[in-house]
Amino acid sequence: MADNIEEIQKSVKKYLIIGALLILFTGITVWLSYVELPTHGLNILVGMIVATFKASLVALIFMHLNHERSVIYKVLAFTVVFAIVLFVLFYFSKMDPLIFDGFYKLSE
Amino acid sequence: MSATTLDHDHAHAHDHHEPGFLRKYIWSTDHKVIGLQYGLTGLLFLLFGFFLMLLMRWSIAYPGEPVPAVEAIRNIPVIKDLFESMFGRWLNPDGSLNGELYNMLGAMHGTVMVFFGIVPLGFAGFVNFVMPLQIGTIDMAFPKLNMLSFWFFFLSGVLMMYSFFVGTGPVQTGWTMYSPLASTTTLGVTNVWQHGHTWWLTAMVFNISASLLGSVNVIATIINLRAKGLGWMKMPFFCWAMFVTAFLLLLAFPPLEVAAILQLSDRVFGSSFYLPTGLMEGGKHLDISGGGSPLLYQHLFWFLAHPEVYVLILPAFAILTDVIPCNARRPLWGYKSMVYSVLTLGFLSFLVWAHHMYLTGMGTMMSTYFQITTVLISVPSVILLTCLMISLWGGSIRFNAQMLFASAFLPMFGIGGLTGLPLAFSFIDLAMHDTYYVIGHFHYVVAPGTIFALFAGVYHWFPKFTGRYMSDKLGKLHFWPSLVGMNLIFAPMFIQGMAGFHRRWYDGGKYFENTSGFSHWSTTLTHKIGAIFGLDIPDNMLSLNIVMSVGAFILALGQIPFIINFWFSIKGGKKAESDNPWGATTMEWATPTPPGHGNFLFEPVAHRGPYEYSVPGHPVDFFPQWESEHGKPNPDGSDAPAKTGETATHH
Amino acid sequence: MDIPYTVHARPDTGLYNAKIGIWLFLASEVMLFGGLFSAYIFLRLGADYPWPVHDLDVTLGFWNTIVLIASSVTVVMAWASVKLRRYGQYKIYMAVTVICAGVFMFNKSLEYKAKFKHYAVKLTDGTILTGHMPEDDHHHTIPYQIKFGEITELSLTIPVKKSAITADPVGYVVPHIEDESPKFKTADGKEITLDDASFAELSAAAIAKAESEGKGSATVKLTAVTPLKAAAKPSEIFGYTADSITFRDGTTAKGKLIDDKMTLLVDGIDARGVAQPDKSLAFDHRYLGAWQPAFVANRDHHIAEFEEKYPTRDKDKSATLQKESLFYKIHSSTPPAADAAHGGDKHGAEAHAPAEGGHGGGHDYPTVVIDKKDITFFSNFTPKLNTYYAIYFTLTGLHGLHVVAGALVLLYFLVFNGRMLREDPEHLANRVEVGGLFWHFVDLVWIFLFPLLYLL
Repeated sequence: MADNIEEIQKSVKKYLIIGALLILFTGITVWLSYVELPTHGLNILVGMIVATFKASLVALIFMHLNHERSVIYKVLAFTVVFAIVLFVLFYFSKMDPLIFDGFYKLSE
Repeated sequence: MSATTLDHDHAHAHDHHEPGFLRKYIWSTDHKVIGLQYGLTGLLFLLFGFFLMLLMRWSIAYPGEPVPAVEAIRNIPVIKDLFESMFGRWLNPDGSLNGELYNMLGAMHGTVMVFFGIVPLGFAGFVNFVMPLQIGTIDMAFPKLNMLSFWFFFLSGVLMMYSFFVGTGPVQTGWTMYSPLASTTTLGVTNVWQHGHTWWLTAMVFNISASLLGSVNVIATIINLRAKGLGWMKMPFFCWAMFVTAFLLLLAFPPLEVAAILQLSDRVFGSSFYLPTGLMEGGKHLDISGGGSPLLYQHLFWFLAHPEVYVLILPAFAILTDVIPCNARRPLWGYKSMVYSVLTLGFLSFLVWAHHMYLTGMGTMMSTYFQITTVLISVPSVILLTCLMISLWGGSIRFNAQMLFASAFLPMFGIGGLTGLPLAFSFIDLAMHDTYYVIGHFHYVVAPGTIFALFAGVYHWFPKFTGRYMSDKLGKLHFWPSLVGMNLIFAPMFIQGMAGFHRRWYDGGKYFENTSGFSHWSTTLTHKIGAIFGLDIPDNMLSLNIVMSVGAFILALGQIPFIINFWFSIKGGKKAESDNPWGATTMEWATPTPPGHGNFLFEPVAHRGPYEYSVPGHPVDFFPQWESEHGKPNPDGSDAPAKTGETATHH
Repeated sequence: MDIPYTVHARPDTGLYNAKIGIWLFLASEVMLFGGLFSAYIFLRLGADYPWPVHDLDVTLGFWNTIVLIASSVTVVMAWASVKLRRYGQYKIYMAVTVICAGVFMFNKSLEYKAKFKHYAVKLTDGTILTGHMPEDDHHHTIPYQIKFGEITELSLTIPVKKSAITADPVGYVVPHIEDESPKFKTADGKEITLDDASFAELSAAAIAKAESEGKGSATVKLTAVTPLKAAAKPSEIFGYTADSITFRDGTTAKGKLIDDKMTLLVDGIDARGVAQPDKSLAFDHRYLGAWQPAFVANRDHHIAEFEEKYPTRDKDKSATLQKESLFYKIHSSTPPAADAAHGGDKHGAEAHAPAEGGHGGGHDYPTVVIDKKDITFFSNFTPKLNTYYAIYFTLTGLHGLHVVAGALVLLYFLVFNGRMLREDPEHLANRVEVGGLFWHFVDLVWIFLFPLLYLL
């Protein structure tokens, strides 16, 4: 934890830079969303990568996760795993490659 | 920290002024009082849920026949009105149950037992009272949040009970509240607050908030407030199991909250989260946009509800790991493997939820994945059970009431767990889904499993709660009918389930002759035993309904000694002769009896592991965690030691 | 006797209690929003309609993002200020944070309000018309109502036992009758005005009668002294036929249907759900037939533009093209001349304009009167409209609740913790840190919400 005075004084400038970066990347996200990539899925992927990058900046710098205690890392690691499990399994629940759609298939 | 030390040397240590009654017992921030509040409320809800089940069992065994005592109740002045608006207005004119009321009872039995009975008693009650004592601290990390947690829970209980009195009565769609039925049923009420469903969802939002606050508290306390010397691997398994349970509550409940919010939105704002396009009801297209999916609800619901199963069972293991070593006078076998198992169990329990959903038309890949994880999770469960069993080996067992309940848990949970294995496979589940087999399976886990363990816990810690023992004779009178009753209720369910009895038949299968018309050795036996008593019990599957209902009746009678014992012993039980009457080793027994505000008279320090029973060469057969050497509680010996009972050790 | 480690960290874990508490709480919040986002994934994958992209007010969303980021910076600066014991700065930063929260919520309320006034009507062939209800001279919206006349008889059903549906004409019928205090005749010839007292008397008598006859419910018939008129929104009634209307409380009135046509000021024609968009029901001669050439010209223009820009790509797979070519936005009350059909908009900017909001800027719209039989479904832009708006309102609504809760906590620290600031600044720094962590989390959620709902 940044507990000593000097470190905090240093990090004040860092916070401002990160804030500016976040605003910059928000602009980039908006711009990217109007670029017509080959598929819209790619647009979503790119947008989510930028958003994840922004979110990591907030988590690491503003929320001090770049120097936190191990207990908190452990708790968050499990949480993130479960959240990802939630996303992935909900995704595959809709996009299951082996879905069974009945004995009598409607021919196209 | 010196803050855990208390300067007062009298037993009932308290602050400078005695808080008033309200502050001390109602708006209390003391973890022990909150634990008792949770426990007592939980016991009352258990009783209420059990009563709902008795009504259901009557309808199953004797469909279309008037419920006994209804006429009598309808003549008692005040109770008459209460009964009439809760149940009476739904009964048939002749006093028999109909499908509508049966569905209400079924849904509320499940809800009350799971969310208002077992979790508050097993988790919140025991963890609040025992855990801070076991880790040697003065209170939970956030006492005010702890109080808020209980009162949220209490409010949610009141809201849930209120749903009995609103226009439509309580929910009728099972404790799972599956959409679209739950989203659309009697949607046309004039006012959403006249609908039991709205109250159910609102109550659940408060219930979830309560368990959230509780679990944050438990985890933070265990991480940060352990006594000096109490490393993670010296912590009693009780705390480990509760720690994992708290994590399950913390991380699994939010998706249920999402499920409830979305369903509330479907009902109140007319959205279509769970409603597919073109949904019709009563031959009419509903005025909805569609585009949602019922599968979404099931995913969100079971993401909670499977970990919830472990929330129900882990407190049982927690309690037994204190009761069994203490009464077998043997160390817990395989402490480390149990700790790793419970952590694995907690982790895996988040990855298995859709094995409740094999019949939803989920893809084959999904169901394969969930079959694999489901089979995997049985491994840590078996390790936990096996360790408890091996702990008995070579012990000199005291068969007091709590040990009877604890030892009955082992085979009962074994039956419940092993009958679950076949259900893990989707092809067997196709046949077994929603039959009585499933009901038998999970009730064996939860009823003679968890509830027996909870009883064991009550008998075990009662001297710490009150300073008095519960009567052991009444305890045994409680145990044997309970054991017989439980098995009479749940064992026949496996037979009926294999025959194809569906769980939601209010008439117990009377009108399904192709399913119920069979004879089986168990039905023949029932028929013959009935003949001895001059009863004409049919020789087909329906006879088992009568067996189960008799079992339920025996179980009901068996609880009377417990209720008498519990209330009588608070003031009239035999006084506990020491602070450690069972000769236990964990730190809650180092406190005065009952523990005052602030708990300890000296700063407890953990010198060794939690299960040092029958240590070779030690003068007595237990070596408590807090003693640096025999009879000395703390290293410098400056404070007065707690009275350590050696009376209980002679055997 | 105090709980240990409330202010200073426990040496072996390096943490004070509240910090563990807030991180655990945030873990649970991650799962809460995780559940919501997975519901989003599930609904989006399962949507049977074109998922709206860029349909919300992107500009407003963008400024709100900036506001939240700014507040995230100020809250961490406030924490640093307490740590550095610069109390004046701390107060300013904290105040700015709370103000940012207020601005955010104000913008949100603008956004919501625009949606509540905006309607979408789905026609039987799948065309969706968007637009507004007409306004009266005082700029009050005239809602869509079913109008009945010549109402002569009310039929009320009162169950004997307490039930969810019981006649409540005072609450659910009388407000829709145009006459201020309508007079009715009961079966025994008494003349009454329906109010709480008279209805209670009436229903008590009816219940007593039904009970004595052993019936489950009582029926009361009231005859209107003079024929009455009634008007009610579709949500206020159960249903109607040509000669009877049933209100929410189950009361049925006999009368004659006067009008059930819907008047809509159309600002958009969404023909993406129609097999032959240019032959959409919207271009029926009763409705927007005059706009068909403009619609076709706009479609062809966008398709040609797309083919020129991306010659190798599949036209049918571009959701953007589908939207630009088939979701036609209307900006004037008369159709443009055929050669200027596209209004000189060469960059497809109009498709980027928000689907709602932005109106009222002097625009006029064609007024269309839609037959009831042509409407399959209609709603304003609320959760009812489709799963996208349902998840949009749920996600942003819950996020908004978090903003409000977080701002209240921070405001509490600012207003009521002055003494702690002087006497125990380290404790206050902990509090600000913990409150700030929650605030950053709220910001973090928005970072994902903004692209998922507004942009992608």
